[in-house]
Amino acid sequence: MASRREFLQAGIAASVLPLAVAGGSVAPTRRGNDAHFYKVIFDERFPASVSYGDEWKARGAEVHAIHGDITDLWFHDLDHEWKKQPVAIAGLTAHGALFCLERLAWDHGMRVISRVEQGAHDGDGEPLISWVIAPKQKSGVRA
Amino acid sequence: MSITPPGVSSKDFSDALKQFEETVGKEWVFTSDEDVALYRDAYSPFWGEPEERVASAAVAPYTVEQVQAVMKTANEYKIPVYPISTGKNLGYGGSAPNLSGSVVLDLKRMNRILNVDERDASALVEPGVSYFDLYRHIQDRKLKLWVDVPDPGWGSPVGNSLDHGGGYLQPMYRNHFDSHCGMEVVLANGEVMRTGMGAMPGAQSWQQYKFGFGPWIDGMFSQSNFGVVTKMGFWLMPEPDAYLTGTVSVPRYEDLIPMIDILTLLENSGISNGMPGLGSPILGGFMMPQRAPEVTAMLQKDGVESPELHKYAQDKGIPFWSCTVKFYGPEKAIRAQWEYAQEKFSAIAGAKFKDDEFYKFPLTPDQFNKVHKPEMGIPSLEMFSIGARSPYNPTPGQGHIWFSPIIPRTGEAVLEANKVFAKAAKDFGLPLLSFSLPTTYWMRSFIFLFGFPITHDVATNKKNRETFKQVVKVAAEHGWGEYRTAPAFQDAVMDTYSFNNHALRRFHETVKDAVDPNGIISAGRYGIWPKHLRGNKPGGEKA
Repeated sequence: MASRREFLQAGIAASVLPLAVAGGSVAPTRRGNDAHFYKVIFDERFPASVSYGDEWKARGAEVHAIHGDITDLWFHDLDHEWKKQPVAIAGLTAHGALFCLERLAWDHGMRVISRVEQGAHDGDGEPLISWVIAPKQKSGVRA
Repeated sequence: MSITPPGVSSKDFSDALKQFEETVGKEWVFTSDEDVALYRDAYSPFWGEPEERVASAAVAPYTVEQVQAVMKTANEYKIPVYPISTGKNLGYGGSAPNLSGSVVLDLKRMNRILNVDERDASALVEPGVSYFDLYRHIQDRKLKLWVDVPDPGWGSPVGNSLDHGGGYLQPMYRNHFDSHCGMEVVLANGEVMRTGMGAMPGAQSWQQYKFGFGPWIDGMFSQSNFGVVTKMGFWLMPEPDAYLTGTVSVPRYEDLIPMIDILTLLENSGISNGMPGLGSPILGGFMMPQRAPEVTAMLQKDGVESPELHKYAQDKGIPFWSCTVKFYGPEKAIRAQWEYAQEKFSAIAGAKFKDDEFYKFPLTPDQFNKVHKPEMGIPSLEMFSIGARSPYNPTPGQGHIWFSPIIPRTGEAVLEANKVFAKAAKDFGLPLLSFSLPTTYWMRSFIFLFGFPITHDVATNKKNRETFKQVVKVAAEHGWGEYRTAPAFQDAVMDTYSFNNHALRRFHETVKDAVDPNGIISAGRYGIWPKHLRGNKPGGEKA
């Protein structure tokens, strides 16, 4: 879980980021995609994640569906974009997708600034996690 | 920062870090807890324990000259450094050092693809180049070349080959160290050396002829700590016209022996040139039909040698073993190769054959989405989406470490290894697998891959570590050695390579003392400790 300091370092104005730090998920606000995520990621295998993506899309966010694997998202999109500039993304996915995105993000000076487990997606399976990846403060950017 | 390098005063460490900053720029020296934590091994078997191997800082040079300067500073202050390329060899240590307190020498910024030559199918790259980077470079230029990638494919050709990683294409490419040709190394004293033909100024064939003149020393920089590799050449695979796979199945338990003998002959003759897959339709498993409950009962009662099970397989007409044979090449040629393979396997009474996949290249989008990408030279992270909870993995942990012994490439060895590991599993309270088949990365040997789960529970990890070491010993007692392991177990594994009172390790130590007298590079890596730390190995459990 991100501290407030880290959250502010992320370069996203806390006042407009609809992030319920105290245990909630990252959900769209009534005001639309005012968090300015470059992409919002959902996993089409999980109904809860699909709903999450639908909500963000309805608010005008750019959403991207994965089917568990983030390779296409990474190779055809994020790798290009993050080489130009580190930009924030959010998602509701299983652990594997976040594990990969987090490590790839580190290489571009990004960090997971929020990570909230949402419980098992079907009552028995793998928990879904809502998360935000955002740029780290400039002075500490890693290769 | 939380720790300093062992034996280095705070002042010296601080002075060295300042010199690192002068060399690479302040923003590329990482000392905050938050930054240094990124170099922890996500799959560390010591997670959260005092013995977890952690770095004290990291420095990320951009050029060879900067690497040289960093090494000179490290030598001056006797700072242990731990070079990594992309640091993603999860299951074998990640980016964490063997020796806690080391400064990670992070080479990710050195990510230049220096040359890719389509005519001679070779590449020259820096350590920070990932498989994705090289694949993209080739795709963007529409070169008819394939890169042999590991799975997952987010590591680097340099790091993976130096750690003896493997892939999925033709045998001469899927052993990644074998497919390298020439390297550039920064030595502990900061001097730059090139191997093979690269030792000749203006060499025209650095990536074409491996050996140069005199002793071939490239192997000394793999799984070792004798230098920092800053460039490496690789042979790439020309894009084939087509790909074909077919499966042979054989009915009886004892057919495993001739089936593997024929497969080996086909591979050693160059007839089968893809990575074969072994399976058991009766026993089931990954990519196999689901096992019948009565089979499980028979296995639990009498094991895989159960006569009742063998009769059951015969009566039901379910093959005991299968082998998927794979071919790359022109369509006419590979269809003929498959036909010839079927002739050879027909020597086993009751052998049956099935045509599987056939693709011409380039793949259509539908085919692209369907194939196992590493077998087409395409890097992928897909395994992270199937490695989580599933019917085959109902309780995923936080990661894994691989127990990966090399065994002879015979059916007898496979059967014997299963008996030995089944007993070991029983003795040490491990989950008992009914039967395991080896993977076929290497042409001349088999390798078993058993994953030991990593958890965030200290007691469970401690038990797994002890069991891992016990299994390493059991394997060694039968002449089967690990090909690669995580830092936590490198001493234990090196102890098993003990011929003539550890002559090999003593030779390694002699070389270490000569080329890195201050012992600053990757102390302890693959069981090679510098003189001042020998016999007093800090940072973890003793072997």
